[in-house]
Amino acid sequence: MKGYGLFYFVAEAFRGLRANSLVNLLAVSTISMAMMIVGFFLIVFLNLQTAVDALGDRFEMSVYLKDGLTGHEKDFLLHRIQLEPGVKKVTALSRAEALLLFKKELKGQEALIQGLGENPLPDSFEVVLDSRSVDTERLEALARKFSGYRGVEDVSYGKEGAKLLSGFYKVVTYGGMALAVLLGVTVVFIISNSVRLALYSRGQEIELMQWIGATRGFIQGPFLIEGMMLSMLGSALAVGVLAVVYYTLPQEVVLFLSRPNGLDFLPLSVVAYMIIGGGLLGLAGGLVSVGRFLE
Amino acid sequence: MIQLYRVTKNYEGVPALREVSFTMAKGEFAFLTGPSGAGKSTLLKILFCAEHADEGRIILQGMNTFRLKSSTIPYLRRNMGFVFQDYKLLPHKTISENIALALKVVGTPFGDIERRVFQVLKKVGMENKRHLTPPKLSGGEQQKVAVARALVNEPQVLLADEPTGNLDPQSAQEVFRLFRDINMKGTTVLVATHDWETVRKMQRRIITMERGRVVDDGSPDPRIPLPLKPHAGAAGTKPVEEAP
Repeated sequence: MKGYGLFYFVAEAFRGLRANSLVNLLAVSTISMAMMIVGFFLIVFLNLQTAVDALGDRFEMSVYLKDGLTGHEKDFLLHRIQLEPGVKKVTALSRAEALLLFKKELKGQEALIQGLGENPLPDSFEVVLDSRSVDTERLEALARKFSGYRGVEDVSYGKEGAKLLSGFYKVVTYGGMALAVLLGVTVVFIISNSVRLALYSRGQEIELMQWIGATRGFIQGPFLIEGMMLSMLGSALAVGVLAVVYYTLPQEVVLFLSRPNGLDFLPLSVVAYMIIGGGLLGLAGGLVSVGRFLE
Repeated sequence: MIQLYRVTKNYEGVPALREVSFTMAKGEFAFLTGPSGAGKSTLLKILFCAEHADEGRIILQGMNTFRLKSSTIPYLRRNMGFVFQDYKLLPHKTISENIALALKVVGTPFGDIERRVFQVLKKVGMENKRHLTPPKLSGGEQQKVAVARALVNEPQVLLADEPTGNLDPQSAQEVFRLFRDINMKGTTVLVATHDWETVRKMQRRIITMERGRVVDDGSPDPRIPLPLKPHAGAAGTKPVEEAP
């Protein structure tokens, strides 16, 4: 195909978009509706994930140390725990600091510990885990591992809380994945039908091109680019509408809907993925419908 | 150039072509005549690879097209021109754009397109109307544009299916004159037509079909006038014997 490359296909695609503006407007609106649903669920899913992550960040494991460890031994142990995959942050807590904290927690009931002569609390490390590590099996394995370290007396963590959080995390992750697949298939279906509409409106031209010796690639090229452009336009429009809705929502509603600091809009990277992904889905939809049409 | 040997085609058990055989040499001109439903259009479609034959052998420009791979068909069609009864011009494109499309699909460099479109339109006498769209032309003019489109890639074979079916007698004469001129420059031309009046006047080879069979094939003797109505043996030749 000397002289005819991507430039020709893009120019033809633009010509097609202009020539069938009404059909294409309908296609962009339909795609935009589908992508709006995708965007809405992405907002919900990402905020839910952030909320679960925040809960995970509050999840701590306490590693109690044996008495009589030297400063060097404590530093070594802290470093060792810090290097463990899934460990986000380790804070050393001296027995004095632990007692102070304990007293704070017992505010108004200090009498309970006044009878104790010596500070009974040991030195400890407070280990904050990555929310993805808050999994009951993984926590148990970590606790077993830390217990085996020289100088560690005991390890404790909230088993029940971990179980609940881990279950919730799984539901959000797998549910989100299933929803993404379902919405992806729906979008391909909608886009392929929209592209097919555009194809039918130009059926005469396609038929003629076949009669005069056009190859499949020559016929397909502009339609695939057209499908991609329609989908990217529809996706961008969907993001735009969602942004307008989000930024015009009263702050009280935004705050009510989610975490203490409110509901976040889609990050720029996700917006870019949505538009590029929409374009790729458009390409897939175009391939499906042009393929069927030419058959 | 064109060889058909015992070509058979059925549509859901109904025979459309029955063991059709004939040969056309390079540069030959022939008419394909016969009543409606005789199989003329089916035969042209098979020659143009728009339909597949069920049985038989078809050699076009030295290539066996029976069960040709679909990816090869566009390249075969580039050496053939096809003229339709309903012109098949794109109404929203200008005459020039309609013809340019045929050049674009074969990858003609952009710089050559305008010149070649002008040349071919001049050949059919339509160069002054190149900026108009088809709906602004008469039927005869539209058919001339369709012929120009079929010719622009300088095909070795030109097939036409009832090209004058929608035209007045004068326009039909002009279109047939074009076919004759094209043929004189070496293009093989096969025209399916009901226009017996023109067939009589042009005195070229006549292949007559009836109920899917070739019943007569030959060139008329210029000394013997053809009958006013077509029938088997009208070309002055012995009718082809039916296969058992």
